[in-house]
Amino acid sequence: MPPLRTARNRKPPPEGFDDIEDTLLEFANKMKDAENASHEGKKKHEMVWPVFQITHQRSRYIYDLYYEKEAISRQLYDWLLKNGYADANLIAKWKKQGYEKLCCLRCIQTKETNFNSTCICRVPKDQLKEDQGQYQGQSATDEPEYDTSGAMGNMAFQVLGEGLFTYFAVDWECKTAEQGWGN
Amino acid sequence: MEQPERKKLKPTYQPAPGLPPLPAGWTEHTAPTGHKYYYNAATQQSTYTRPAAPLPSHSPSPAPAPYSAPGYGAEYQHQAYQGGFGGNGQQYPYAAPAGAQGFQGNHFQSWNEGQRKPFHRPRPEDRPKHKKVIPNCAPWVLIYTKLGRRFVHNTETQESYWKFPEDVMKAVIEFDRLKLDQKLGKQGGEGTGANNVPVKQNDRRRRSASLQREDEEALAAELAAAEQEHEVRPAATTAVGGKATSEAPGGEDEGSSSEYEEIEVTDDEEEENDAHRERQAGESGSAAPEGPVEFNEEDIAYQLAQMEESYGLDPGEYGGGEEYEEGAEGLPLTEEDSAALFKDMLDDFHINPYTPWEKLIEDGYIIEDDRYTVLTTMKARRECYDVWSRERIADLKAARAKMEKQDPRIPYLAFLAEKVTPKLYWPEFKRKFKKEPELRDTKLPDKDKEKLYREHVARMKLPQSQLRSDLAALMKSLPIHVLNKDVNVEQLPKEMLVDVRYISLEAKVRDPLIRAYLDTLPPKPEGGETAEEAAEKEKKNKDREKREAAMRERERRVEEEKRKRERDQRIGMAQMRERERELEQAMRVGRGGLRAQLEGDNDAPSDANGAANGSA
Repeated sequence: MPPLRTARNRKPPPEGFDDIEDTLLEFANKMKDAENASHEGKKKHEMVWPVFQITHQRSRYIYDLYYEKEAISRQLYDWLLKNGYADANLIAKWKKQGYEKLCCLRCIQTKETNFNSTCICRVPKDQLKEDQGQYQGQSATDEPEYDTSGAMGNMAFQVLGEGLFTYFAVDWECKTAEQGWGN
Repeated sequence: MEQPERKKLKPTYQPAPGLPPLPAGWTEHTAPTGHKYYYNAATQQSTYTRPAAPLPSHSPSPAPAPYSAPGYGAEYQHQAYQGGFGGNGQQYPYAAPAGAQGFQGNHFQSWNEGQRKPFHRPRPEDRPKHKKVIPNCAPWVLIYTKLGRRFVHNTETQESYWKFPEDVMKAVIEFDRLKLDQKLGKQGGEGTGANNVPVKQNDRRRRSASLQREDEEALAAELAAAEQEHEVRPAATTAVGGKATSEAPGGEDEGSSSEYEEIEVTDDEEEENDAHRERQAGESGSAAPEGPVEFNEEDIAYQLAQMEESYGLDPGEYGGGEEYEEGAEGLPLTEEDSAALFKDMLDDFHINPYTPWEKLIEDGYIIEDDRYTVLTTMKARRECYDVWSRERIADLKAARAKMEKQDPRIPYLAFLAEKVTPKLYWPEFKRKFKKEPELRDTKLPDKDKEKLYREHVARMKLPQSQLRSDLAALMKSLPIHVLNKDVNVEQLPKEMLVDVRYISLEAKVRDPLIRAYLDTLPPKPEGGETAEEAAEKEKKNKDREKREAAMRERERRVEEEKRKRERDQRIGMAQMRERERELEQAMRVGRGGLRAQLEGDNDAPSDANGAANGSA
């Protein structure tokens, strides 16, 4: 039987974890809330939007700390990835040109769509037609709500203030390829 | 119902150019609901349908609005008034309420020659609030308005005046005095009924004679002041009284707006006795010149400007800032300045640089700060924050690298020294104290903890002499620059604290031992310290010497000054004494007069000479 790894006998996290521990704890709490949120009155896929959103934000936070601000050590970064604080595959995509602001891996997963196309959030805004990307039946004056059944593009549009989008500020709108945008 | 004052009210409204002009006598107004209605002051008819150019003698009004006055404000006033006073159907002349309405925006409104100021604030309406019966002045009542003004109203003739007629004024002055007395009496704890006239009269009877005299003097003064106004007043009465004749029914709509005069009544004036108000003749009637209150774009713009001022914003700080040219916010800030300001703000709030940006925004403390707005776009703020956090993190890292790390064994061993008993095995001990931070600390691996524990417990069984010799060996093993005479027992070096031999002895045995040993040691060797430390020390010493020299110099100067002053004082004293002596001598004029003194003067030297001779 392998030795049990409990909180007490585990190896301590690398140096610098104390600095970001609080923020990570907040993300964990948010995630817990999102997982336990009620599904009442929500669409089937709407439940997972906040989960994807928080995953994105947390990954982005760690990515920024390591690559942009150089605030954490390589050891800590690896340890965080190993312990599931960030999505290594998503971060791997961000390093590629054209995918710098990718919201989730599912949006570029063409095999899951009917017409083998990406999510509508991958389409630059100026190439979208007038009503595309907007939830149907929603008037233009209403609060923007985007139909992202199958994806979680909505998370990009949590408007926090005037002109302020969420952390990653994806400029694209998300809509399922199933709605026929691919043609 | 007689409403002579209405003649004074002229609408400034001009009919829309597209529509045919209204027949003479008809005026257009806007109801509170926004509907237009038309009113004929002569026939006192109102109608929603626009009267045709040939004057209808009787307008077929579908909804004859029972407005007793043009302007919905007046309507409200009327209703409120009636409701407040029992609704006995008695209608007060329009003059007073309308006048009250006219006095509202008092400080800044001025209607000059009917010209509207570019901006005017929509003023709150004044309306009658409560009335007081003026004692000994039967038909007249004193009416207080919502805004604290007052006017008198005659319930019989239905007349109202802002400016009190003379006889009424006397009564009002008396009434005021009564009220004042009552208030004073109330403070003394006697009066309970605040506004009851009988109580007032009782109070009045109780007044002391001296108070009465004072009152009479005051009354006389007031009357004298009233006399001065006497010239003005008849004009007022004629204006009020001659309303019926002064305006023909057809004259209203043609009346030029230059007739309207706004009389400014400030609140300060209200504080004074009302009898001293400077009121122009006819003010009461002409005080509602705006007719239907219109709320147009100018007003909105004005209100916005007002709001802006009250929020203390510069134009350009709030939404729509693009419309303002740059520099509307005052001195232009350079980019570096604004970034530096923003960073200062972040520093001041003690923001953790590891915080993600959107968390910061969600928390929103910084949004309240003025410096938040020096950067105008969210993107700029975000970039500035990124730069700042990068810098701060780098600083933190550097500081941490400099700071020596505390050995996790030190608190653990201190904890062991306090808690260990030889009765417990390691697992038991661990279980017992698993909640303690020293045991939870992950920096010290469990293995090390166990090892230290076992060693310590094993050493507890050794004899004291052995432990002492071990401690001595430990101290001897430490080099002189670590352990020397300058070291305090409370601040022992790390090398000693992490050794299990140090904690094996009890503190009260151990500390004297260590102290004794430290005393035998030489002081800290100079060579041990590095060159820069030495330089720093030298510099410090030099500074200190310089300071001390300066201090000495200053003391010396002060001392000198003091001495000089003392000497001056002594000299001055001596001179003064001399002068005093001379004066005294001069004053000693005896019966013999000046001559005797002069002789005495002559004698004195001779005496002195004689004395000198005698002594010689």
